[in-house]
Amino acid sequence: MRKFLVYLPVVCLCLFLVAGTPPVATLQLQLTHVVNGQPLVLQSGSYTNAASEAFNITLFKYYLSNFSLTTVGGETITLPPAYFLVDEGKPDSKLVKLPAVPPGAYRSISFLIGVDSVRNMSGAQTGALDPVNGMFWTWNSGYIMAKLEGTSPVSKQPANLIEFHIGGFKGARNSLRRVQLTFPQPVRLTPQQAQTMQVVADAYAWFQQPNVISFQQVSSCSTPGAQAMQIADNYQHMFSIKAH
Amino acid sequence: MKAVYIITLFCLLLLLAATEANNRRGPVMPGPEPYQLELPPGLPPPAYDFSQNPLTRQGMALGRHLFYDPKLSRDSSISCGFCHQQFAAFGHFDHALAHGVEGRIGTRSVPTLFNLIWQKNFMWDGGVNNLEIQPLTPLTDPNEMGMDLGALIKRLQADAGYRKMFKAAFGTEEITSQRLFRAITQFVATMISFQSKYDSVMRKAPGVAFTPEEQEGYVIFQQKCAACHREPFFTDFSYRNNGLPYLPNLNDVGRMRITGSTGDYLKFKVPTLRNILKSSPYMHDGRFIDIYQVFNQYAHGVQQSATIDPLVKNGIALSGKEQRELYMFLNTLTDPGFIANKAYSEILIQ
Repeated sequence: MRKFLVYLPVVCLCLFLVAGTPPVATLQLQLTHVVNGQPLVLQSGSYTNAASEAFNITLFKYYLSNFSLTTVGGETITLPPAYFLVDEGKPDSKLVKLPAVPPGAYRSISFLIGVDSVRNMSGAQTGALDPVNGMFWTWNSGYIMAKLEGTSPVSKQPANLIEFHIGGFKGARNSLRRVQLTFPQPVRLTPQQAQTMQVVADAYAWFQQPNVISFQQVSSCSTPGAQAMQIADNYQHMFSIKAH
Repeated sequence: MKAVYIITLFCLLLLLAATEANNRRGPVMPGPEPYQLELPPGLPPPAYDFSQNPLTRQGMALGRHLFYDPKLSRDSSISCGFCHQQFAAFGHFDHALAHGVEGRIGTRSVPTLFNLIWQKNFMWDGGVNNLEIQPLTPLTDPNEMGMDLGALIKRLQADAGYRKMFKAAFGTEEITSQRLFRAITQFVATMISFQSKYDSVMRKAPGVAFTPEEQEGYVIFQQKCAACHREPFFTDFSYRNNGLPYLPNLNDVGRMRITGSTGDYLKFKVPTLRNILKSSPYMHDGRFIDIYQVFNQYAHGVQQSATIDPLVKNGIALSGKEQRELYMFLNTLTDPGFIANKAYSEILIQ
């Protein structure tokens, strides 16, 4: 009895700290960027696209949002709204800390490449969605969902630039793409231990399939439309989960 | 034994105190004062969603300061108010095309600013989809204020006066593009123009009536103009090809640039006719200085094309007498109280 009383203040404190907050687990995505298996190195890395044309990449960034997880039982858990701008030039941005996840066993993750239509129409945003990040079109309101810039000797643009700004969120020009990735084995999330998934994004996929893009023919895209849709159809295949 | 109870009690008190401190936010300071915008009766609810950006006196004052501050442009030469002049109902008097830094000239005329909270889309082609982000376009357009948004935010953050004003408006000194846009929105949202003679006549205000000429003009307006320039906003907020001849050297395809649809070729926003006689020049490229040129354009100048609006396809016949009567009616759409309202007038930025 005496011993219990000695611990009473500690028990009291613990109760206060725990009460009212449901247990949550932490899941992070660590993104690695590659080009057809080679590490993506801005400026200096030299690559060849599916049309056998040389190119390099000077800028590579994209939005991820609207995450959900599917449990091994098949239930889909939609995570609270969160928007991430992943930028090869900003190493910190490649670690995506997902909002609170209920503990459990999960078999797959799903997310949008881009910013949902609601946020495209809701006025001034902040954080990752701040137009100061250069991912918002001023002349035709809407987010650039993903950006890839670089050069290719076959490009007919000034200074051989290649410039792909993919966006559009309305009707037939909706460039939003949903990605679903199945984990190599079910992921068990507990409140005690943060889990980090290794996710690879391959920039080669942008120009590969189903639509092979030749930089000689198409070296830039900066409006919503058919061209942007083709590239979005391609890059929705760029993600994979690295098995441990 | 007693000590244990005392420690327990102390712990509990500590927790209580911590919770209390959390609930309080620093020393007591007067927060931004809410402002209730008076809207004329009988209008539809605004399209702008105030719930995320409730009007406050300090927010509106900050927005007004920003609106008239040339520091918002790249070389600190041009403010929003430089082109949006109150005496021209916030259009640009006597300037066909918008001006910008370093004497640059844009490709379209400056639109008037009022009753914006009922508009869903902005710019002549409707390319901007929310009032809050509308200022982003003129701020960053190289032919207008030519400013980099990131550089502007840094410039404002470095300004002690602005830090103070942002704190007064939003509670902390933090300056973000979202706060910048919301403050400007708070100011322009208050620009409401529904106090013209026309409005008094419609409200049956005692002692106010149309003259016979104005009344005739109103009838002509209803017959020949009101289908697009619909009351009470004097626009139906649609985009139409009004048969204005295409100018190759401007090569402005209008709304087609936004939608990518050839069906929108040469379509532009139907502008409001409120304060129209104060906001010359006319059309998206400001090609007409005089309202009679506009009348004659509709009467004799309509250019046929695939997207021409059926309502103007055959022109709009207007005799000399009708034109004069229409002019007299349009004159009743001028809102002198709006144009002279001290709440919107230019302030000297130190």
